[in-house]
Amino acid sequence: MGKSRGPVWVIAEQIDCRILEVSFQLIGHGRKLAAALDTTVEAILLGHKMEEHPRQLFAAGGDRVYLGNDPELAVYQPEIYTEIIEKLAKERQPEIILVGSTAMGRELAPLIAARLDTGLTAHCIDLVIDGNKVLESRIPAYGGLLSIICPDRRPQMATIATGVFPNPEPDESRTGEIIPIEVPKKIPRRIQTLEVVREEPEGMDLESATIVVAGGAGAGDPAGWRKIAGLAEVLNAALGATRPAVDEGWAALETMIGQSGKMVSPELYIGVGLSGELQHMVGISGAKIMVAINNDAKSPVFEQVDYGIVDDYREFVPVFIEKIKEYQGKLKTC
Amino acid sequence: MIDFTFTEEQEMFRKAAQEFAETQVAPKVPEMEKTGKASQDLVKAMAEAEMMALTIPEEYGGLGLGYTARFIALEEISKVSVAAGMMLQVFALGIEPILKFGSDAQKKNFLPGLATGERLASTAVTETTGGSDPTGIRSTYKKDGEDYILNGRKCFITNSHIADTITVLAKDDENPKAFSTFILEKGMEGFKATHEENKVGMRGCNTGELAYENCRVPKENLVGVEGKGLGVALAAIGDVGRGGMVACALGLQAACLEVSVKFANERILYGKPISRLQTIQNKLADMKIDLEAGRLLGYKAASMQDKGERSSNEFAVAKYFTTEAAQRAAKMASDIHGGYGCMEEYAVSRYMRDSFVLGPSAGTSDIMKVIIARWTLS
Amino acid sequence: MFKIVVCVKAVPDPKEACNIKIDPATKTLMRCDVPMVLNPLDKYALEAALQFKAEFDAHISVLSMGPPEAGNIVKECLALGADRGFLLSDRAFAGADAFATAYTLAKGIEKNGPYDVVFCGMASSDGSTEWVGPEIATFLKIPVVTRIKEIVEYNGQWWTVKAELENGYRLVRVQIPAVFTVTRELNTPRRLSFSGIIKARKKEITRWGIQELGVPEESVGLKGSPSMVSTIASMDSRRKVEILEGKREEKAEQLVQRLVNAGVI
Repeated sequence: MGKSRGPVWVIAEQIDCRILEVSFQLIGHGRKLAAALDTTVEAILLGHKMEEHPRQLFAAGGDRVYLGNDPELAVYQPEIYTEIIEKLAKERQPEIILVGSTAMGRELAPLIAARLDTGLTAHCIDLVIDGNKVLESRIPAYGGLLSIICPDRRPQMATIATGVFPNPEPDESRTGEIIPIEVPKKIPRRIQTLEVVREEPEGMDLESATIVVAGGAGAGDPAGWRKIAGLAEVLNAALGATRPAVDEGWAALETMIGQSGKMVSPELYIGVGLSGELQHMVGISGAKIMVAINNDAKSPVFEQVDYGIVDDYREFVPVFIEKIKEYQGKLKTC
Repeated sequence: MIDFTFTEEQEMFRKAAQEFAETQVAPKVPEMEKTGKASQDLVKAMAEAEMMALTIPEEYGGLGLGYTARFIALEEISKVSVAAGMMLQVFALGIEPILKFGSDAQKKNFLPGLATGERLASTAVTETTGGSDPTGIRSTYKKDGEDYILNGRKCFITNSHIADTITVLAKDDENPKAFSTFILEKGMEGFKATHEENKVGMRGCNTGELAYENCRVPKENLVGVEGKGLGVALAAIGDVGRGGMVACALGLQAACLEVSVKFANERILYGKPISRLQTIQNKLADMKIDLEAGRLLGYKAASMQDKGERSSNEFAVAKYFTTEAAQRAAKMASDIHGGYGCMEEYAVSRYMRDSFVLGPSAGTSDIMKVIIARWTLS
Repeated sequence: MFKIVVCVKAVPDPKEACNIKIDPATKTLMRCDVPMVLNPLDKYALEAALQFKAEFDAHISVLSMGPPEAGNIVKECLALGADRGFLLSDRAFAGADAFATAYTLAKGIEKNGPYDVVFCGMASSDGSTEWVGPEIATFLKIPVVTRIKEIVEYNGQWWTVKAELENGYRLVRVQIPAVFTVTRELNTPRRLSFSGIIKARKKEITRWGIQELGVPEESVGLKGSPSMVSTIASMDSRRKVEILEGKREEKAEQLVQRLVNAGVI
């Protein structure tokens, strides 16, 4: 008999007492990892008025929930959250800690990793247990797929975006153990979240859209970007962007699709003026039909879609819009 | 040994000029093409980016960077807009006579304002009788007490309508062998910019005519020694003017090559990008050879100029080669683009027009050959 | 005097980064001479420091870990207005993950002396992990706020900043010294200027290796990195690609037809 391994942990995240989807998705996938390691899945849930919520985490596949339920924990407070999780991890020795690639997760995960002297893989698109029972975190890079491991130190940590793993089917009959956690008394209070302001997102929600049109660096300029936005409008589609397009300032960070942005799985995806960088393409790998419009016939994007149009998008898109309108007109008259 | 590498600092200058060209010059090009007028915004942006201060010594509010740095800046700016490069190159040409031949008082009086771009400079030599043989000019000056009275007209003068400080070459009213150079300032009585040209290329770079009728110029505005003005004008044109044209031409060559490579990789013919066709590759190779050779000629002359050596002959060779090469490059770029090369939306049509203006500016290719032959035979 | 440290990184030019590919045979990176440039987000971090300096008496140190050639980007920061540059460069530092990088940078910051604020870009364009800022803060035992998009109050020992969140922001009050990682919304970085380049002639770049930092070899570079790349695989597409041919009109027509047939529009 080998020594028993520590649990797989998921740092659950709540906003206004609603647990985020990514937390359930990580628990769902955490079950698979735990099965391969012959261990349990446990969640850390910090918030206020969260007494009833552990049930949902059990239903998703959690075996145990550490619940911090305190007004001080209502919103993310980096110092307190880090302190609690560090202390708990040192006591309980988890094998793996999974964190959602959210704004909170991206700050909290490295704070915990550095405190625990361990490695952390960013924005993974897959997690598997290898033959040596080591976690392999897969990330796309340079047109290939890198496997990152943290062979010698524990826990092994990774952040994962919403939508990388499917939502688990909730099993309401599952139960588990709730372990309350206290807010530590003696911590430095050098940082306080005073307020969390959420604004109405602009445009259509990418994650729930049935059609997504995305633009890349090839848009060239703001006028070009508006042309692509025009296509999205005609198709009643959500408009997404690649990192270079966000970098150019044409699109907001929230509309970025890909490894370090959003993961979407629409019925139809149309990529315009983008080169098919893996960091972007992993974000739309779940699309049913994919189309690319790019004037460079050699662009790698044409190896990754169902239909390719080799043409200057500035010329092609207006013609395409006309054809779509023709079709939509026909539908109305029928 | 000869070191052909740019210093780390020069690479940074190039980067600064590149950033300036891409962010500040490129957006102004469509309007300049449309109106043909100099863009005030662009002039302001150039001043803020210290582009007029490059060759002026630090003690007069300049950067004291010399000619290679200027060459780099002009090359990068011309890659985006030859018109903008031309405008800037002539600012320096206007500054040069004061820099090289001006008195301390003149330097103190004029250079700081020219360095900040508060005042803009130009030089006026060419008249309807031609520019390459300045002895044929008809403008005259005559002494009147402490002042000089100037009469005449200049044509094809770059920055004619935007410049505030213009060095003008004129002939002694009584002695046809004596020439002098004067600083004329905007607002002097009897001095005005008249006709503004409408050029086919380098649109947005202002060219026009100047007229001075009984224009009274104080003796403080005489540059150098009275009667020795020909040397003043020729030194400025031969080194700075000709050198500037080389940098402008190289910028255009580089631009032609860049758009051609991009288009050739994107344009599909027979199921393959046309860059796989040997006939297209041949053109691209020719453009590359011209660009590499032109750069060697240009930067060699600029480095001589920085050492204080006379470089007008070397620049004549470079001017001949690069402006001819720019015309070849524009033609080849246009050929590669096929029908698109004739469309206004594609930059190549502008390159074609600009390349034709490069030729006659600061001396035609034929004149360059005259100079080169004279140098060879001497 | 108020001391600001800005951490910067030399990255392959993002405009040409698509030329870096994995060799499918050897599974190693083919760099193809992509030039190294200042990480775009780090310009915003430097600009934050420069804007502070424009208002108050401040000294800006720029710190980078990288190969000797990365001295270029430190020089560029000096030309942009930073006062002093540090390049942490040593063979032993090579192969560092975010953890070992943050550790090395933190040691460099400590060696440079007292500091009030550390600015970092939110992420690098090549690694894009966002880990280095928070991990530096952890090693320095000071607070961090990531993804800041506005500095609301910066007078005194407590700063107030807005940090980006999904569809919104956090308003955070933090006691300095602290680390801030910045987003593009924070400011508009200035461009290189010729006079800035000239001023940089007189500014010093200090190069520190493992000796100068006085850190054990096992804590830096590949040896000090908890995580490592185990395998590199090339990705194969699972889709059957059809490139539509014909005139522009025909291509558009065909595309609409296929999308209609697939039931997606």
